[in-house]
Amino acid sequence: MFAKLKKKIAEETAVAQRPGGATRIPRSVSKESVASMGADSGDDFASDGSSSREDLSSQLLRRNEQIRKLEARLSDYAEQVRNLQKIKEKLEIALEKHQDSSMRKFQEQNETFQANRAKMAEGLALALARKDQEWSEKVDQLEKEKKFLTAQLQEMKNQSLNLFQRRDEMDELEGFQQQELSKVKHMLLKKEESLGKMEQELEARTRELSRTQEELMTSNQMSSDLSQKLEELQRYYSALEEQRDHVTASKTGAENKVTALEQKEQELQALIQQLSIDLQKVTAETQEKEKRITHLQEKVASLEKRLEQNLSGEEHVQELLKEKTLAEQNLVDTRQQLLAARSSQAKAIDNLETRVKELEQSLQASEEKLKQSSDVVAAQEAQIRELATADQERSRAQQQVLALEQQCTERVQALEAQLTALERVRTATQTAAEWEVRELKQENAALKESKNESEHSLQRHQLELKKLKEEWSQREIVSVAMAQALEEVRKQREEFQQQAANLTAIIDEKEQSLQEKTEVILQKEQEILQLKEGHDCALLQARQLRTELEALQGLRAAESEAATTREDLQRLPGQEQGMVLSSSEPHVAPRARQDPVYQLPAAEGMPNGEMGAMDPRQLQKEKQDLEQQLLEKNKTIKQMQQRMLELRKTLQKELKIKPENELFEVREKPGPEMSNLAPSVTNNADLADAREINFEYLKHVVLKFMSCRESEAFHLIKAVSVLLNFSQEEENMLKETLEYKMSWFGSKPAPKGSIRPSISNPRIPWS
Amino acid sequence: MGGFFSSIFSSLFGTREMRILILGLDGAGKTTILYRLQVGEVVTTIPTIGFNVETVTYKNLKFQVWDLGGQTSIRPYWRCYYSNTDAVIYVVDSCDRDRIGISKSELVAMLEEEELRKAILVVFANKQDMEQAMTPSEMANSLGLPALKDRKWQIFKTSATKGTGLDEAMEWLVETLKSRQ
Repeated sequence: MFAKLKKKIAEETAVAQRPGGATRIPRSVSKESVASMGADSGDDFASDGSSSREDLSSQLLRRNEQIRKLEARLSDYAEQVRNLQKIKEKLEIALEKHQDSSMRKFQEQNETFQANRAKMAEGLALALARKDQEWSEKVDQLEKEKKFLTAQLQEMKNQSLNLFQRRDEMDELEGFQQQELSKVKHMLLKKEESLGKMEQELEARTRELSRTQEELMTSNQMSSDLSQKLEELQRYYSALEEQRDHVTASKTGAENKVTALEQKEQELQALIQQLSIDLQKVTAETQEKEKRITHLQEKVASLEKRLEQNLSGEEHVQELLKEKTLAEQNLVDTRQQLLAARSSQAKAIDNLETRVKELEQSLQASEEKLKQSSDVVAAQEAQIRELATADQERSRAQQQVLALEQQCTERVQALEAQLTALERVRTATQTAAEWEVRELKQENAALKESKNESEHSLQRHQLELKKLKEEWSQREIVSVAMAQALEEVRKQREEFQQQAANLTAIIDEKEQSLQEKTEVILQKEQEILQLKEGHDCALLQARQLRTELEALQGLRAAESEAATTREDLQRLPGQEQGMVLSSSEPHVAPRARQDPVYQLPAAEGMPNGEMGAMDPRQLQKEKQDLEQQLLEKNKTIKQMQQRMLELRKTLQKELKIKPENELFEVREKPGPEMSNLAPSVTNNADLADAREINFEYLKHVVLKFMSCRESEAFHLIKAVSVLLNFSQEEENMLKETLEYKMSWFGSKPAPKGSIRPSISNPRIPWS
Repeated sequence: MGGFFSSIFSSLFGTREMRILILGLDGAGKTTILYRLQVGEVVTTIPTIGFNVETVTYKNLKFQVWDLGGQTSIRPYWRCYYSNTDAVIYVVDSCDRDRIGISKSELVAMLEEEELRKAILVVFANKQDMEQAMTPSEMANSLGLPALKDRKWQIFKTSATKGTGLDEAMEWLVETLKSRQ
């Protein structure tokens, strides 16, 4: 009620003071902005009270006058109250300052310290937790790996056991193999030995054979010799036979000769007889001849006598002498012939006799020869007989030889048969042996293969073993490295723990200092309490004074108001200016501002008194409200001061850096220079003054408001209502309408709120 | 009545949209960040007279992101949008050393608002791709962030044109919003 009244008054005064709205008292919703405008304490009421302005304007005028009057009367009391309040305020200021500073310090310290501690503790805890987690993860990983490795190791061990078993098996197999091999070898050796024996036998046999063959050869030679001899003997025999034939031929010849000779002898004897006959005849003839020769001699002697008688008969005697001489020569010749014949005959006889003799001799010789030849024949026959025997012997020998040969061949055949049999046996044994050997070789090969396989497997296993060992070693290395890392981490952790310990020590120290400080603060609080007590006393005094004042207000109520309100209003801008001037001193300014605050309730009190009995509770409430306002204002004042300081700094900076920026600032704040002291903090600036400039903005917002979603539009209500200077009710109506639109239920809000105020309230016109 | 039911229904069906404001001085890159978050592309922007509002879904959380124009003349209207705000993304041009003071005072003034008492503050130290960019710590100090009390805040170095840092920032924001619920 009073608030509204006051608002009215303030508005009125504002309108009165700044006509045209150009320098209108700023309206704002937030209290800071109100505070930012300066010491205009009544302005905040103007914001909400626009509904019943018209109704109460006349009343207000009246009451203002009353208040004026009352104020004049109350000035003395007010003076007293002010003095007391000043004391109180001083105390409060001191208290607040102290409290603020100490609290701030304490809070700051506490906060910074706690923040630091929390940060550090958090950081450390996080780091520790992370490290722990990492370590645990690492340890887990290591354990996993260890498990894995142990599993692998066991596997390896099993494998190695298998390997050893296999190796043993292999060794066994190899032993068996070797045994079998040795057996086979033994058998082979035996066989070979038997073979050797057989071969030796064979060799012996062959030797025998060769010997027999040699014998055969010698016997053959002998037989050949014998046959040669035989041939020779045969030849000899044939020769002898020839000789014998010859001899027989010669014997026959000789016998023929003998016969011939005998014939000849007979002939010769016949011849001799003839010759003897012839000789007798020749002797007879020689006698006759001799007779004749004698007769012829008688005839030669008769003729010679005649020749001598006949000589002339001489030529007949000479021819008869010549015939006598011829007959005498013939007689000598015949004689000679006879003598020659006789000599030849003698000779022939001699010859013949010699010849006979010779023949006899030759006969004898031939007889001898015959004898000899017969001897020879006999000898030869003996010889032949011998030869025949020899031949027989030879044939016998040949038979023997043949028998021997047969025997030999038989034996050779037997031996060959034996040999072949033996060879067969040998080949059989050899084949058997070879087969066995082959089998054994196969077995051997199989065994070797198995051995190779097993060796391969062994090698593989060994390789695997090596690999696994390497892996193991690597793992071990890794695990060692990890262990090292772990140790390092542990060290780090220890370091961290040490650091943490250090930090906790520091924290303890800080806590100690904190405790000390808290003690100090407690002391200060005690002091504050004391001060508060003093303050309470002062408040009590003030209350007493106020009750007095209220009593006086009852008296004052009758007095006129208009003049006083005028005065008051005139005084307020003055104070405002004073505030502007004194705002550079931070703690003096709130005081200056508080004065009207307290003045105003004092001013308000008057109509109450006039109207009737005032409820002290209400008054107390008001007081409390006012105190709250005071506190808030103090706060805002502080903030304003801070802002101002900052702004001043920035201003100075800007002034230093850019002198031409001033122009910008000047242009930028047409309203703020009027309304507040923080020109560049525009987001708190009064919006009413900027309306002209931001038609563009209004357009945009309205466009958006109409086009956007309801949920977004809901947030735009305020902006729209601020821009279009809606009243609270209009704004509420808008809100309700939007809520109705957004919700699924509910009824359409009645349009009462929107129409009535719009009619009753004359709008502050757009300029 | 309707509001009650609608609130029940909204609590029954799906999660509420998170309301996020992107604030900052003009030319800090608010609109670029908004569209980078929404469509993942760099759009050419003109100075925002007014605001842009888009629904961005990130990690199954729906955000109603409001990009309010940062020009000096329309900065006063920011406060019209403060109510029911879950988080404020305050974008600062890392290269604008001259106006960081203004940015700070705007930020401080904004944070004093009662309506933003519970809002989470994410500061984007934008334009980090530039050479003369300030470091986040430097910026945090010049924005007076360490002095903030009772406020969950975090600063991220971002580059809206390069798209760096936005994911981390959104991640943090999502986590913080989830943990706050």
